[in-house]
This record gives sequence, structure tokens and C-alpha cells, in this order.
Amino acid sequence: MGALAIDFGLINADNVEQLKIINQSCFPVSYKASFYEDMAKKQDENLCKFAYWNGFAVGAICTRIEPLPGSPGRHRIYIMTLGVLAAYRNHGIGSKLVTSVLDYFEAQKDEKLFSTVDEIMLHVQTSNVDAMKFYGEKFGFEKGELVENYYKRIDPPHCYILRKKLR
Amino acid sequence: TTTTMKANNDNPQAGQGRPLPKKESDLFKNVVKFYESKQYKKGLKNADTILKRFPNHGETLCMKGLIMNQMANLNNVIGVSDHDKKASGVDGGAHIEDKKKEAVELVKKGLMMDMRSHVCWHVYGLLHRSSQDYAEAIKAYKQALRIDSENLQILRDMGLLQIQMRDLAGFRDTRLRILELRPNSKVHWLSYALSVHVNGDAVAAVVVLDNYMATLEKDSVEFQRNFETSELALYKNRLLSETTLQEDGGVEGIKKALIHLDEIHSVVVDHTGWFSTRLSYQLQLGQFESAKETAFALLERGSTEEYRVHGSLMCALLKCDRDTCREVEKMRGTGTLATLRPLSDEERTILLNAYGTDAIAENGEEDGSDQVMKDGLAKTFPKSAAIKRIYLTLLPPTGEEFKVAIDKYCQRQIIKGVPSLGSDLSSFYLMEVKRPNNGETRNVLAKDPLNVKTHSVYRLLVDLVDSYVTSLSSNSTFPNDSATEHAPSALLWAWYLRSILHEQAAEYSEGISLINKCIEHTPTAVDFYELKSRLLEAGGDIQQAADVINAGRDLDHQDRYINNQATKTLLRAGREEEAAKTISLFTRHEAPAEQNLYDMQCTWYELELADCWRRKGELGRSLRKYMAVVKHYQDFHEDQFDFHMYCIRKVTLRSYCDLLKFEDELWGLPHYGRAAEEVIKIHLHLVDNPDKAQDDEEPDYSKMTSAERKKAKNIARKKKKALEAGSGVGGDNSASSKSNTANNDEKKKKGKPHVIDVDPMGKELLALDHLEEAKKFSAILVRHAPKRMSAWALQYDVSIRRGKMLMALQALSKMNSIDPNDHRLFSRIIDFSQKLSSRTEKCHAASELVISGEFTKLMNGKSLSDFVQMAVDSIKADPVSSLPMRIAVAKAMISVGGSSAAKEASSLILDSKLNAPCVTVETCREAVAFMESLGGGNKERMMMLIMAKLPFAKDC
Repeated sequence: MGALAIDFGLINADNVEQLKIINQSCFPVSYKASFYEDMAKKQDENLCKFAYWNGFAVGAICTRIEPLPGSPGRHRIYIMTLGVLAAYRNHGIGSKLVTSVLDYFEAQKDEKLFSTVDEIMLHVQTSNVDAMKFYGEKFGFEKGELVENYYKRIDPPHCYILRKKLR
Repeated sequence: TTTTMKANNDNPQAGQGRPLPKKESDLFKNVVKFYESKQYKKGLKNADTILKRFPNHGETLCMKGLIMNQMANLNNVIGVSDHDKKASGVDGGAHIEDKKKEAVELVKKGLMMDMRSHVCWHVYGLLHRSSQDYAEAIKAYKQALRIDSENLQILRDMGLLQIQMRDLAGFRDTRLRILELRPNSKVHWLSYALSVHVNGDAVAAVVVLDNYMATLEKDSVEFQRNFETSELALYKNRLLSETTLQEDGGVEGIKKALIHLDEIHSVVVDHTGWFSTRLSYQLQLGQFESAKETAFALLERGSTEEYRVHGSLMCALLKCDRDTCREVEKMRGTGTLATLRPLSDEERTILLNAYGTDAIAENGEEDGSDQVMKDGLAKTFPKSAAIKRIYLTLLPPTGEEFKVAIDKYCQRQIIKGVPSLGSDLSSFYLMEVKRPNNGETRNVLAKDPLNVKTHSVYRLLVDLVDSYVTSLSSNSTFPNDSATEHAPSALLWAWYLRSILHEQAAEYSEGISLINKCIEHTPTAVDFYELKSRLLEAGGDIQQAADVINAGRDLDHQDRYINNQATKTLLRAGREEEAAKTISLFTRHEAPAEQNLYDMQCTWYELELADCWRRKGELGRSLRKYMAVVKHYQDFHEDQFDFHMYCIRKVTLRSYCDLLKFEDELWGLPHYGRAAEEVIKIHLHLVDNPDKAQDDEEPDYSKMTSAERKKAKNIARKKKKALEAGSGVGGDNSASSKSNTANNDEKKKKGKPHVIDVDPMGKELLALDHLEEAKKFSAILVRHAPKRMSAWALQYDVSIRRGKMLMALQALSKMNSIDPNDHRLFSRIIDFSQKLSSRTEKCHAASELVISGEFTKLMNGKSLSDFVQMAVDSIKADPVSSLPMRIAVAKAMISVGGSSAAKEASSLILDSKLNAPCVTVETCREAVAFMESLGGGNKERMMMLIMAKLPFAKDC
């Protein structure tokens, strides 16, 4: 069975526990309570969302817009987390989540804050070949600099920056 | 005029032909007006002005009293039970109680001043009515009518009370008098017709309606097509159908009604109702061909998902007799003729021809794979889920066709992800039972795991679902279709279904290991946490069950259903504080949650909370909550008052008759029964253990396990603290007065009074006469739920404690007629026999004769020890005797044979290996307690058996 016809849904204070569960089952690191508290506050539903299949959340993406270091007044989209439950992988759900954020940017690229956004980026553990392939082959992200000892409790502790220029 | 004035001043009694002077008489009219428009303060002011000049004017005194009573009632917001009437949250209980007393005194004084005034008597009646003393109110109204026999207002008020009290003959007389006084009002004609009807004379009621119609002009709106005309016509139709004569078995009335139904077709707006009624008549008259057409017409109109229509259609197709047709009409849920009783091969063929020989076939429109041509109803209504499902019930459940069909049915639902599939399928576990009274065969649902496990459909489902799991987990396809790959959720729902099948067979460990797989696969699906919690609860670990469902609740705080389920499980785990926090997420936040839930008549919560208190030995608090439920039902009963007038005015006469019937059966409803039974049990417990009523008494720690002891001591400590906080003597009182003031402050802020629970510990309830209370409720139960075994069991328990041997025996006879093999009956027969021989006083000789005659029958003419031995033998002969029966007989062996019977008694239970019906946490707990009392390692042996069946029951 190929791609699943998923729906998107917003993250809020009432269902943030599901984000926590998805992330815990997807990532080796656990995020601080403050991360979920932020997510429980009213977020832009275009930047943070669940993917639903058959009525249940099976994946989620959380991104934010942050200042681009070294370029005052310019910004980037930072992918904080992207996770899909193991049983539902390889059905195009992750791609749809990333695409939906990119599409949102395309539609808004000349509006307000988005007109100052130049790139989209994320951190990837150096051992995570699958993720690098995913972002590289599907979306044209490029491998950037190595950040040493980015992670504290997992091995390897280093990560690469993956980024894609948006304009 | 001055002299007359003077005379009036001395004795201004209107009833004696000396009316008030103009000014005062106008004022009095104002008083009445202000009362009616609820402007009580103004009314009071006017009344006082009159009383200043005429302090002994009876009618004014009465009106003043009535107004004061209303004001007191307004302030006295209804508390949690009748017992708090003397206290309320606003002005301080005593004050309001005084006000009410003063009001009553005023009315009485007014009445004494002017006994010949209909106003005074009317007010006296209203006063009784407001304190819900309807019988007294009717008496007062009758007095008023003796003085003023044509007073419409009083007649109307009395009629309302009479129908409320079901003084049916009185009601009819009153409505007739009203009609005679005002024969040109539609409402009065309808009311009179209805009053005749409720007195059981449908024929005369029809005549009344006909007479009414004859008074109307030809072009009256009453003949045009509109809602009221339609309802009235359908009501008359129902009356016609009830004009039953003994000789013709009711057929003549139905015939007339069927003809009438055709006549009124043009004015009826409720078409579905019209068709359904017609279908029912035609079936009862045996007009099967026309019935078939009517049923088809209903399906065409969109009733394809109504199982009742399908049931009737099947009756028409198979030309069933009248009783069967009626039985099918009363079936609920997915029940039809096909599930009522086994079908013969011939009958199956007829029904299959009608419904389609392959109704489950893929719907061509859905996915374009229209390989199998469908026929029958399945072809006519390809989108109907009910027809597809009914098709399954038409196939012989052991045949190949059924297997293929249910396979397709399950696959489709699993692909869709339908959580209810498991419980849906459980309605296929039908077992044939012969009725004892007429030898007819009927289907009953296999519910006990013991029966489910061996059921052929269950076995079939297990094999099917196992094959799904194997196939889906290896390559995401179903066994018979390796070409179509399915989404990951297909395997998930297959696991889930398998887990439910384990649950149905009481295989809790196996169920848990599968549901854990589901949770690992999709940890965001709430259904899995719910099932896991259920498995844990049934398997004996209520604490973990509560934790798991709470985790599920955390997935979505807007999900009210799971929030309620979590609350319920928390209460069962004895965590009432957590439960209160949980449920209060969905109550209104202004008032305390407890009060809000009471106002919303949230019965399930109050019952669970009451159970929780009861298990903790907090009998006062527990009683309090059970009584809250009882109060809800009293309110439901009161609520009908509003409908007596409303329904007639709106001409919803059919619904009104249904409502009257519902109210008559109110006390027989299961939730009321649950509350009332527990109330009785607690009172009886207090009769047997009078010292338990003192709630500061230390619990008996010696009988508890160490964990329980710890818990109980904690509770005791908390209680003490709470008492001390309430500052010494009369702590409870001062605590409540404190909250009184707090409440007052709040009231000022919000402008509306809050009720405070003046007796949360239920001390007043604990101070009641326990036997008297128990008697009151058991009398209600046996009257309104005479077919309920537990009601008669309690009636026995109450009667025997009251020393009423005949009543106790009657209860036993009733139980015997409901189910002679019930364990509750058995243990009470033993008890009765022992009480009979140990009592010191005998009844009248005549009663003694009845007792010995009837009881000998119940004992099969055997001596006590032979009777017990007979039960022992029958258990030994029947390996599937239920666990409760085994316990009851074992207990009887000990109580009759003494401790020497211990070995045989224990083996009666142990030999079952718990492969017996009714093995639940509760019955196992009872078994353990009994086995422990036998000593000699019996408890340990019992626990071993239990752990094999209820794997999570650590301390039973």
C-alpha cells in the first residue's frame, strides 16, 4: 500500500500529550517540559500540526520561525521535530508534513514576517543516514557544518546542519 | 355607610355577604394579581395595607400566608434530600423554617376566620400542594368547591392533582364538570376524552371526540391538515385500536382502526408514524400481503436502517401469528425475527430470497468490482448497512455461506477501523432456550465466558481473526486476497478485535498482551487504553485499570466520553478525590462540581460514588448519594406535573399517554432499583450492626490486609483532623455555618443562591429508623419491579427482620416463580427454615397452616439437611453449576452440618476449578472470604485457582 490519505490537525493544550507520545516513540532524545508547554500555547497551525490517519494522530511536525544568525532582520524556518510512528512509515506521511510547511511558505513568501525568511534548516544526528537521505533526496536540503557535542545524552553526540535556501 | 363600614371593621368576612369596601377590595384584587405574576413583595405590601384596617380578614390572611410560603420556598433552594428542608443556604435554615411555619399559621388563621370562603379553602389547598401533600390539597379543593361549585380555577387545579395522584375516577368527574361549565373549549373536550380513556373506556373516549368534532363548523381549522389535527386524528386512531372486546381478541378494534387510518390519511403529517401503525395493524389482522407492501413503503421512505421495520417485514413474509408479531415489534437494537428464534430451513429460504442470496457482496458503486450480482433488498438498497448485517443473521451459523459472509463483514470493518466491531459481533452468539411456560424456543445471548468460549460463531471468529493477524503481519494482506495491500491500521484493528475476543472469553492475560501490541503500534488511539483498562479491571487489578484509562484520558482533554470512563474507573478504585477532579473538567465551574452534578441529575456518577463510599465503610456518605438518586426519580415524577396541561394544549395526546405510562413504571427502572436496593442493604446492615452507625468508630482493622489497614488508618486520621478543624464540640455544625457565611458572600457577588450540602456525612440518614426505611423501599421495589429477583430477595430480608413470616414466605414463593435455581433463593430458604425452627412466637393457627404448607413445597417436602444434600448432589452432578450457587450451598453445609462439613464444603467450590459461570472479581472475593473462614489452607488453595482465572487479582 502506497501513500496514505492523511488529514492535518492542530496541536493544542488538550491534545499536546499525543505530540509527546509520538515524539517519545520516534526520537532518542526526550524534549523538555517547556517544549510541550510552548506547543500547548496557541501555535500557528500551519507550522505545527498532527498528521491523522483513520482518525488517529500518527505523525507530527513542529517548526518555528527564528532569526537568521548573522543577518539582522532576516529569518529562517527551523524544523524542531518531525516524527511519524514506526508502523506508519514509508507511506509518505513525513513528506506530506514537510511539503505542507514548504507550501505554506510559498503561499506566504511575500507577506509580513515570511518576506524576511531566507532558508529552512534542521539538526540531524550524524548517524541518522535515513533522515539525511529523506531531506536531501526528496527536498534538496544540503548538508552543512558539523556541530560537535550538540546532544548531551545520546551517542554519537554530534550533528550536521541540513539547510535549504528558500530564495 | 359609616355604620356598615364600622360593622365591616368588626367582622369583615366576605363569605358572610359583607364584602370589603371598594378600596380594600381593589387592593385584594391586586394581591391576587401580584401573587399570580410572582411579584411577591408588592403583594405582601398590599395585603398588609388591608390587614391594617381589617386584621381579621380571612382571605387576605390566607393570601398573605400563601405569598410568604412562596417566598420561603424560593429561598429554600431544594437541597440534596427532603431532610434538608429545614435548613437552607441563604438566610440560615432555621429562619426559613420559621417563615414557612408563620406562613402556614397565617393561612390556618385566615381559614378559621372565614371557613365559608372558597378563596380560603383554595389557598389552603395550594399550600398543601406546594409541600407536595396532594391528598390533603385535593380535600381542601373539594371543600372550596362545596362553597363555589362552578369555580373553574379550582376545578382545573384539582384535576391536575387528581391525574398526578392517579385518582382516575375523580379526574374524570372533575373534567366532566369543567366541560359542562365551558362546553365550547377544545382543551376541555380533549381533557375529558383523555380522562375517559385513562379510566380504561376507549369506546366512550371515541364518542367524546366524535361529539366534539360534531360541534365544529364544516370549514373549521380542526379539519384542515396541520399538526394538531394530525395528532388528534392519530390519537383517535389509537383509541379505536384499543376498543378491544374480549370475544374477538381485540381484532374488531384493530379492524376499525385500520379503516380509520385510511380515512385520516389526508390530514396526517406524521407519515412514518402513519405507515408504522398501519404495518402493525395489518400484521395483527394477518393481512400479510398488504403488510409486506407497507413495510416496503417504509423502506422506500428511508427506514432501511430501522431493524423494527425489518422485523415486521420478516413476520409478514413468514406469516407469523399475532403474539410473535407483537414480540418482534418490541425488540430492541439489531433484533429481528431472525434473532428472536431459530429459523427453519424453509423460513430461511423465504427470507434469503427477499433479502438477497448474496447480500454481503461488494457494493459495485463503491469500488467498481461488481463481480457478484446482488438480488432482493440488498440490490434495491445497496447502501444499507442494516440489510447487509441482517443477511448474516439469515444464514445457518454453522454453514460455509455464513463463514464466507462474516469473513467479508469483518474484513470490511477492520479496513475501515470500526472499534465497535467486537461488541457488534457478540450479538451473533445466540443460544436456543426452551421457554418453561409454553415450550416455545427462543434465542438468548451467550454472555458468560463459559458459554461464549464454546459457541460455534465465537470459535469461527477466533479462527478467522487469527488468520487475519498472521496474514496481515507478514504482508499486509488478508488471507484470501493476496493482491490487495492494506494500510498499517488493518493489522492494528485485527489485533484489537482479537483482544476483544479474548476479553469475551475472560482470557485476560492474552488480551493484555495483544492490546499492548496495539498501544505500541499506535499509542495515540484512546480505544486501546480503554480496552486495556477494562481487561485489567475484569482481571482483578482495578488500580492499574484506573492508571491506564487515565493515561488514555490524557490524550485528549476534550473527550468527554473517556473523561467519564476514567472517572468511573477511579471511583471503582476508591480514588474519589481524583475522580472528582476529573469529572469537574466537564462541569460548570461556578458551582461546586458535586452540586452541579446533582443539579444535572448525573445518576451514574452518584451511583458510582455511593458504591465507592460504601466499600470504604462510609455508610452515611454513601446513603446520602444513593438518596440523591432516589430524589432524582422523585423529581422525574414531580416533573410530569408540567405536562398535564401542556400536552393537552399542544394536542400531543399520544405522547402524553406514553408519558403517563412511563411515570407509572418509573420506580421499576433499573437505575432507581440500583439506588434503592443499596439503600435497603445499608439500612439492613445497620439493623444487624447498630454500632456501625457511629461514623467516628474505629474500623475493625483485624480483618483487613496490611494495605487496607494502612489505607483505613489514613482515612481515620484525616477524619479526625477534619473534625478538629471544625473546632471541638458540634464540629460539624460550626463547619456548616462557616460555609454558610462563605456562601452568603458568594451569593452577594453572583446574585443567586448556591446550595450547600448541610449534611454531607449523611448523619441524619444514619439516624433514621433503619428497618422502617428499608421496608419503605422494598415495598416500592416489589410493587414496581415484581419480576426482579433481587427486589424479592430484599423484600425477604426486610420481612424476616420484621418478624413477618408470611411476607417473607411470599417473597420466597415469588423468587421461586422467577427462577427456582437461583442461589439467592436457595440461601434464603435455608435461612427461613432455620428461623422457623428457632423462633419463640408462632403466628395465628391459620397462618401457620399456610406457612407449613407453602414452605414444605419450597423444600420439596424434604428436611433441611436432606434439602441441602439434594443441592450438593445436584452441584456434583452438574459441573457447570455457577460459582455463587456453589458458595451458597457450601455455606448452607456449614450452617446446617457444622464445621465437620468443612472439607466437603470447600471441595464443592474448589472442584469447579472455577470453570463455572459467574466467575468475577466480586464472586471470587466472596469465595475467598468464605474459604478463609474454613481455615486449613483453604484460602491459599482458592487464591491459586483465582490467580489462574483472574491473573491480576493480587489480593482478592
